[in-house]
Amino acid sequence: MDVVDNLNAVKNGELSRRKFNKSLLAMGIGLLTVPYTQRRALAAAEDQATYFTWGGYDIPELFTSYEGKNGSLPNFATFGGSEEALTKMRAGFVVDVAHPCNQGVPRWIKSGLFQPLDTTRLSNWSDVMPDLYNIEGNVVDGKPYMAPMDWGQTSVTYRTDLFEVEGEESWGMLWDERYKGRLGSLASGGDAWWCGAIYSGVDFENIDSDDAFAKIGETMRKQRPLIRVYTDDTTSLQQALASGELAAAMTWNETATALKGEGIPAAFAKPKEGALTWVCGVMMHKDAPNVDRAYEVVDSLISPETGKFLIGDYGYGHSNIKSFEAFSDDELTDKGLSREPADILNAGHYQVPQTQEWETRMNNEFEQIKAGF
Amino acid sequence: MADTTIAQTQAASTKPSVDLIKTTGFLASLLQRYEILRGYSLLAPALVFMALGILVPFGILITMSFWTPAGFEFNTDFSLKNYQDAAERPIYGALVTRSLWISGAATLITVMFCYPMAYYVAFYVHRNKMLWLILMTLPFWTSYLLRVFAWKIILGYDGLINSSLSGMGLIEQPLEFLLYSQTAVVITLTHAWAAFAILPIYVSLEKIDRSLLEAATDLGDGPWTRFFRVTLPLSLPGVMAASMLIFIPTVGDFITPALMGGPDGMMIGNLIQLQFGRANNWPMGSTLAIVMMLSVGAAALVMYLMTEFLKRRVA
Repeated sequence: MDVVDNLNAVKNGELSRRKFNKSLLAMGIGLLTVPYTQRRALAAAEDQATYFTWGGYDIPELFTSYEGKNGSLPNFATFGGSEEALTKMRAGFVVDVAHPCNQGVPRWIKSGLFQPLDTTRLSNWSDVMPDLYNIEGNVVDGKPYMAPMDWGQTSVTYRTDLFEVEGEESWGMLWDERYKGRLGSLASGGDAWWCGAIYSGVDFENIDSDDAFAKIGETMRKQRPLIRVYTDDTTSLQQALASGELAAAMTWNETATALKGEGIPAAFAKPKEGALTWVCGVMMHKDAPNVDRAYEVVDSLISPETGKFLIGDYGYGHSNIKSFEAFSDDELTDKGLSREPADILNAGHYQVPQTQEWETRMNNEFEQIKAGF
Repeated sequence: MADTTIAQTQAASTKPSVDLIKTTGFLASLLQRYEILRGYSLLAPALVFMALGILVPFGILITMSFWTPAGFEFNTDFSLKNYQDAAERPIYGALVTRSLWISGAATLITVMFCYPMAYYVAFYVHRNKMLWLILMTLPFWTSYLLRVFAWKIILGYDGLINSSLSGMGLIEQPLEFLLYSQTAVVITLTHAWAAFAILPIYVSLEKIDRSLLEAATDLGDGPWTRFFRVTLPLSLPGVMAASMLIFIPTVGDFITPALMGGPDGMMIGNLIQLQFGRANNWPMGSTLAIVMMLSVGAAALVMYLMTEFLKRRVA
């Protein structure tokens, strides 16, 4: 290709009309293609990994290291319950990383939609507490499927100024007739049904029996007329508690921590029957389109920076032991946490994986109860 | 060759309509001969789209409604179990009834609110009619979700209505029935679908021949009789169209009841959504969708017959 000095050619009157048009054409093509080449270079949204998670985890604070490396946040998709998430992925929604909890892990693995993690690709893995990934069904052939991230409790958050506790804190607070129409609950059976089991005195080992279904169903039916709203949107519950619309609600650690942060008199109950405890983490889709970035998402989520935010601002436990360094024992106790997750997890009622049939039956049953039948 | 061209030109001059189509090839001659074929070929793109986009999914829906779930998979043996369940378990019937009731109320209120607006623009606005119509539909340029959340703020526990009422000292405790109730769903739907009522009603009012109204006045009808004997019957097609446009989609709505309804405001759409999501029972979801379609169809038919009857009575 010969390079033509157009300027000199014009000066000397040597530029033919055809040559002039050619250079114009070249310039035009150049101008038109600039936006495309540039966008490629800057990494478009579709190049980022997609993280499918619970509402509330789609925030930049959890991805400081990912953002540092890739210049932008991963794409987010959110769900209200992990069962809903699994159905959506089974229907063909492909993501890179999803966020189940210990109770669902064996079923999620069984669905065949996920790949085991290569922990050598995770720089923070050595600091992850083994107690949290050696959970039932997670490690297959020496490889974990779920990298644990957050752990915590489902319990009652109540307004200390509006709710008068009779005796000890208890799950009975959410069944208290005095506060009819001022109680809230999570809508997902994945939390509510289990809490109902605790209040009914059903042992999680027997939660799959007809007897247990009948007993828990009866308990939940009794609660239903007292409940103002069932929602999976934790922000709604938090705002309703903040305004005084609700006096008490079933929530995760996060809501109580956030309310206290706003200076609202609220407490996260330690029910005498025991709270519901869980460990959640991230699993990688078998067809993850961006495996490298998916590993960066996982690594970012188990990093101590993320952990400090989760503990400090959300009040959840984190899987990285280094995350706890920034907090004193008193601070942790106040948040209902501990450096030894087992202390908390085993003190409460730890969710037990169930079969798919159980999940379907439970969800159907609970939805009917919520609808008033 | 030259002969045929002449013959064609002659034929064309005697039958001018034939001139429109080039008379070459078998297909062209077919098209030329059958007017109905010309019609269908014009319709073809839309028909193909309809078949692919509506009939095929509908077929899948019907097929699936005869299956049963088996864990994650489906048991594809023919079974009427879902329909039996739908008929026997009270929850389904009750939710369908409730949905029909809520949508019916929302439709009625919307049409009643929008009729005067459309009437005003059609009869009393003479300049910048388009501007008026655009202004009336302006709120609908924002996202539906935003409008639902706006209503949440207005109706909420410490929302606009409650805080103004308590500010004026009219109430001591916030009114709790405003949000998370069937009323809240009806209010939100009424506002959300107003544009779909105003426009068809306006068009049918605009079309009314003004000389008919003059004639009615000449023959001694007062304003009210004139309205009920001339204007209203002539605008009924628009009212019907508006009612159908609102009633049919709102019966299956799930986002409004999910956000505004609370435990007692749940509608059949929510239950269908749950079947495809959390409850993981797609066959039951399909059955419920079909049951809903049939009930909406039946309700719409009743509405249609009633207007026909009314029209005949008035005329």
